[in-house]
Amino acid sequence: MARWRAALVRQAPFVLSLVAGAALWEVVGRNTNAAFMAPLSETVVRLVQLTASGELPREALSSAALFSTGLALGIVVGMPFGLLLARVKWLREALDVYIMVLYATPLVALIPFILSIFGFGFWPKVLVVFLFSVFPVLYNTIEGARSIKPELIEVARSYRSREWALWREVMVPYTLPFTMTGIRQAIGRALVGMVAAEFFLSATGLGQLIMTATQNFDTAAVFSAVLLIVAAGMILMRLGVALEAHFAKWRG
Amino acid sequence: MAISSTLTAPRRAFFAGPVVPRIVAGLVILVAWEIVVRRFAPSYVATPSGVIAAFPSVVVSAPFLAALGQTLGAVAEGLAIAIVLGTFIGLLMGRSALGEQVLRHYINACYAMPMLVVLPLFSLWFGYSGAARLATIVFAAIFSIIVSVADGARSVPKDYIEVARSFGASRMRMLFEIVLPASMPYFLAGLRLAGGRALIGAVVAEFFTAIGGLGYFILYNSRTFHHDEAFVAVLFLAAFGVAIDVLINWSTRRFLPWYRRDDRVE
Repeated sequence: MARWRAALVRQAPFVLSLVAGAALWEVVGRNTNAAFMAPLSETVVRLVQLTASGELPREALSSAALFSTGLALGIVVGMPFGLLLARVKWLREALDVYIMVLYATPLVALIPFILSIFGFGFWPKVLVVFLFSVFPVLYNTIEGARSIKPELIEVARSYRSREWALWREVMVPYTLPFTMTGIRQAIGRALVGMVAAEFFLSATGLGQLIMTATQNFDTAAVFSAVLLIVAAGMILMRLGVALEAHFAKWRG
Repeated sequence: MAISSTLTAPRRAFFAGPVVPRIVAGLVILVAWEIVVRRFAPSYVATPSGVIAAFPSVVVSAPFLAALGQTLGAVAEGLAIAIVLGTFIGLLMGRSALGEQVLRHYINACYAMPMLVVLPLFSLWFGYSGAARLATIVFAAIFSIIVSVADGARSVPKDYIEVARSFGASRMRMLFEIVLPASMPYFLAGLRLAGGRALIGAVVAEFFTAIGGLGYFILYNSRTFHHDEAFVAVLFLAAFGVAIDVLINWSTRRFLPWYRRDDRVE
């Protein structure tokens, strides 16, 4: 009992802040025009409605397909290419500036070009998510490659290590933790890319649900979809942090 | 496991290194781009030669300069608001256990949220106007500042605080002379993220609300098949993105020389 009570006391501020936040949302929502702000209770009702009607799950699945295809492509392309750049010094020195520039460029600016060149289908949207996620993976893998002490490779060489062994024992263990940092960043960026593609290319998925609901002044539906995206974002972010922490142990 | 800012060590200048391979690679990329577009793409698609040809007339044209001013002005204003508010909230979270417990989950939720999803709501609340863009920029930038300032304030060594306390320092002086300077590297790391995010926020808000700025300049020109002209604006956005990165790396090295996480020997 005592332990329970101690836990309760410790968690009290958190629970109270949740209650206060919910109450604030409810009060503000009730006192504002329904078109601008829906109270929490209405949002919850709408969330249940949209889930029961199958609309929310359907759109969420469509978004998830876009997100995971783009992110997977970003990792599948970014990781091997990054490792190749890690090993081949002249190639890395030739390309690292351009990768750094693309990493720092707000790539959303390219969406209008993608729209007018590739049109409205599924794959142009995948291209957006891919572009958002590939550069963090590449950039961080290169950072990792730069952190490998040259002595390690020299020692491996002087022991006549084969290329394969060099990759297995030096290159991959030393760059992978950095790649994981890149993947964590890529998860967040891919989510932004997903919403951007759904807003600015062809409207599908949760992005479309949000847009249509806004036009219909159905704020409760907007909040429902936003809540779902926030929840997904937090879960994915935690996954990314866990992945990164798991591999961070390898960092020398 | 809390979602927290990652502190990236100030890197050695990224641009330091051999010049020739980079120039060669750059030329190869440009030539490949030119050939691929000429052979396979419709004629309105941007090519390096087209962008170079369009560059001089675009950068002096009145619509472009107006757009540039609007976007940069909004980004500067939004970042300033985000820095002031974000530092305040971040200190509250980093130095007060209660503040941390009350705010943490909200901040983490907002930080994990792709900032774009607020666009429809913001345009509803603030109208299709500069206010919606400003709100989007602040929203995009503030959470990385909050999270990193809170991390920084939390990481202040206990000894500093104890020494200050035993010399009878007031809370205010402790805040301004110990906590803030000690969390500077974290703040700069957060600001680097915030700068990039603010730029993205400005562009997407302009796409969405069609108010004047570089984002709208790109949207309008690409819709009217002036891709070369639109791409000039992309180059400027890329330059700002890189400039923020370089500036913050430089000032970390210049003003916080004691802060070095990786003493790598090369």
